[in-house]
Amino acid sequence: MRLELGTFPVRDARFGSATRWDDGILTIDRDVVLRAVHDDPLVATASLEIARPGESVRIWPVRDVVEPRVKVNGSGVVYPGWFGRSIETVGRGRTHRLAGVGVVEVSSVNWHDAGGDFVDEYIDMVGPWAEITPQSALINVCLVVEPDPALAVQTKNEVVHRATLAVSDTLAAAVRGLRPPELETFELTTAPATLPGVVYIQCVHSPQAMSHSEHTFCTGTYGLTRLTPPWLLHPNEILDGALSGPYRTLFATSWTVVNNPILLDLYRRHGRDLRFLGVIVFRTEWTTQIEKDLMAEQAAKLAQMLGAQGAMVTWDAGGNEYIEVVHTVRACERLGIKTVFLTSEDSPEGGAPSLLKPVPEADAIVTTGFFNTRYLELGLMPPVERVIGYGQKAAGRAVDATVVGAPQVDTAGAIPPPWRHDDHYGFTRLSSFAY
Amino acid sequence: MNKPVRVVHYINQFFAGIGGEAAANAPVTVRHEVVGAARALQAALGGEAEIVGTLICGDNFFHDERERARHAVREALRSLRPDVMVAGPAFEAGRYGIACAEVCRVAAAEGVPAVTAMHPSNPGVMMHGREVMIVPTTASAAGMPQAVPPLARLALKLARREALGTADSEGYLSRGIRRVGYRPEPGYRRAIDMLLTKLNGRPYVSEIPYQAPAMVEPARPVAELRRTSVALVTTGGLVPKGNPDGQTSGNAQRYFRYSIEQLQSLRPGEWEAYHVGYFTHLVNKNPNYVLPLGYMRELEKAGVIGSVHPYAYTLPGVSTPVAQAERLGLGIASQLLEAKVGAGLLVST
Amino acid sequence: MISAIYDLALTTGANRVVRGCRIEHVCGNPDLGPDKDREYGMRIITTALQALTTEVSGPTLFDPQGASTETIHAS
Repeated sequence: MRLELGTFPVRDARFGSATRWDDGILTIDRDVVLRAVHDDPLVATASLEIARPGESVRIWPVRDVVEPRVKVNGSGVVYPGWFGRSIETVGRGRTHRLAGVGVVEVSSVNWHDAGGDFVDEYIDMVGPWAEITPQSALINVCLVVEPDPALAVQTKNEVVHRATLAVSDTLAAAVRGLRPPELETFELTTAPATLPGVVYIQCVHSPQAMSHSEHTFCTGTYGLTRLTPPWLLHPNEILDGALSGPYRTLFATSWTVVNNPILLDLYRRHGRDLRFLGVIVFRTEWTTQIEKDLMAEQAAKLAQMLGAQGAMVTWDAGGNEYIEVVHTVRACERLGIKTVFLTSEDSPEGGAPSLLKPVPEADAIVTTGFFNTRYLELGLMPPVERVIGYGQKAAGRAVDATVVGAPQVDTAGAIPPPWRHDDHYGFTRLSSFAY
Repeated sequence: MNKPVRVVHYINQFFAGIGGEAAANAPVTVRHEVVGAARALQAALGGEAEIVGTLICGDNFFHDERERARHAVREALRSLRPDVMVAGPAFEAGRYGIACAEVCRVAAAEGVPAVTAMHPSNPGVMMHGREVMIVPTTASAAGMPQAVPPLARLALKLARREALGTADSEGYLSRGIRRVGYRPEPGYRRAIDMLLTKLNGRPYVSEIPYQAPAMVEPARPVAELRRTSVALVTTGGLVPKGNPDGQTSGNAQRYFRYSIEQLQSLRPGEWEAYHVGYFTHLVNKNPNYVLPLGYMRELEKAGVIGSVHPYAYTLPGVSTPVAQAERLGLGIASQLLEAKVGAGLLVST
Repeated sequence: MISAIYDLALTTGANRVVRGCRIEHVCGNPDLGPDKDREYGMRIITTALQALTTEVSGPTLFDPQGASTETIHAS
């Protein structure tokens, strides 16, 4: 599988009379883009706005950020599998991307009706929150979209994300036929057998347990979010968006997953420091011990069958999902596969272990700090001049507003950061230290 | 050059040169000079600090006459007024290590910063590693030349009330405190570098060392179930419908107690689960899945158990720091003990 | 302690741990229909009471006997 990825860097974006990329400037024909969105009669309202790094802008609520990519040749479409998009295996031929741009999915639609999961993230384009989140450095083309309110929540989610992909597709189409300023070839070429074989085990949250539905929205593998046994993906598939979808934290949005520095660095070191064997996508939040352990054993076995001597393990969730993730680390180690585990930490209060289940075999851990922003000592985020999206939100966590009768706050004001900062793929230098 | 800081050094009978086990009963002696192993410390401190007193105490004396020993140390500190207290190094000597740690605690209570040194497996670390600054040493006293310089360096920092860096950078054992900070390289690079280091058989240091969770001594089994009152507890976040007391959906700050005395079973429609960690609708349809009152009443009627405790306890067991959860558990347990409850069933989601 | 993900309880200090069915329905299984669900629930509770009267020296798992009542989510 060989993929050429052509990059079109975008320095600035503006609205204009045609959608085109020209030497780093992306001009967007807003009417054409919104017409593509309104192609779907289930879209009730839609608007498009641009937020630039450094502007005093807050985008709330953020469900996904998508990097515009398009297949130039090779089978399938980018971000495959979602609502009728082709399920053909991707990762071959050529794909073009607009770098430095994010299409932001802004909508009041929540993930599902079962309680427990609430859309609760925002992007600041300037200030302390901006400094520790990668999407604040993007030119964010924000789609504020609402579906027909009479639809069931599952359908609402589909309408909203389909609209986001329509925007992404339209923007990326502008560079489909152009010559990219940068071109990188991704291929797992034959590498010396003396280099260690490394597999990347990417643990991905499935919303099935929380929502009791196999179809709930979240990061999907070819559009499927349900709990399944581990998938084996070629990293090129991930570069073409095979693992994508809206997510509960900024650090696992569609943009983040196609720009995953772990994936890219393993790839770029292939043939030099290691042999990159592939990506095992491990879906998490099984709700019995047996299921958790079965998946962990199978993932480790899969790694072993691929010839892995080493495994890089990441995850994108919290809570009891940790069990199957750390049991996968342990299962690999017991098979002689050396692992490194990249994770954030739980509360360090009172000197308690900051990982849910300490495991002696997990002896090589890289920490991205505490996922609860309470421990990041950020204080309140400064007020902004402009909000893209909605002007009010619940103070504190969205779900508790219903209970403690917490007031609404102005999203333009000084408000706490989103409760979760969870650098799942190690973008930042944020970490923690023992004292 | 800074003004020399005042240091008091606590050592045991052996390191003072007054004897071995035979002298272990020696009471606390205050010498206004550098004695025995304190010389090595003074040498490492150089002109930056002056050991204004050596406290010598037999390890047995400290253990057997703890209050007298602590009192003597306290008095010595009040009269010597040091800027910092140094104790040990104790290496693997258990009694000595515990005494050193306790002496450091006495000093801290007097407002004097303190530091000691011992092997990480010394019981002094397990007992006091959270409150006391401890420099790791080898097990054997042959490691004295390596132990003293970091001990001296930390002593000076503490004496000067300088801000302390991380455990790794300053060379002390972690006290179980973790704080956010930035590393020179982003996480993904550190992770892949660490993997390659590990694969190539070179040494690496985990950014989170393994810390075994605390085990608990099992309670004695219930002698006679049919005479025992059993309490029901759940972390499934079960509350009366409408959540009248405003239980949060996670990060439990308190636990809740509800009377079930008049109830034979929990009926759907009268209870709900308020918890962000699991799909709660099945429990809403049948609250007995997390608070199995119906079964317990049957067993009570059949005489298998003495009685069901009239109160059920609940809280939302998700996104709750471990230390907080411990506090809440202790709170519930103490209420149950006071009510002479004989056993508890805790259903966890 | 009754838990469907009992391994965590056993490794973090709980000494008498009973295997529950699934996080979403710990003391029973709605898929069995009301009668068998009740039987299963009762089996879990009586196992828990048995655990209370059993001497243990450390973390011990008590598994309610009987037909397997777990359904596995996989496609």
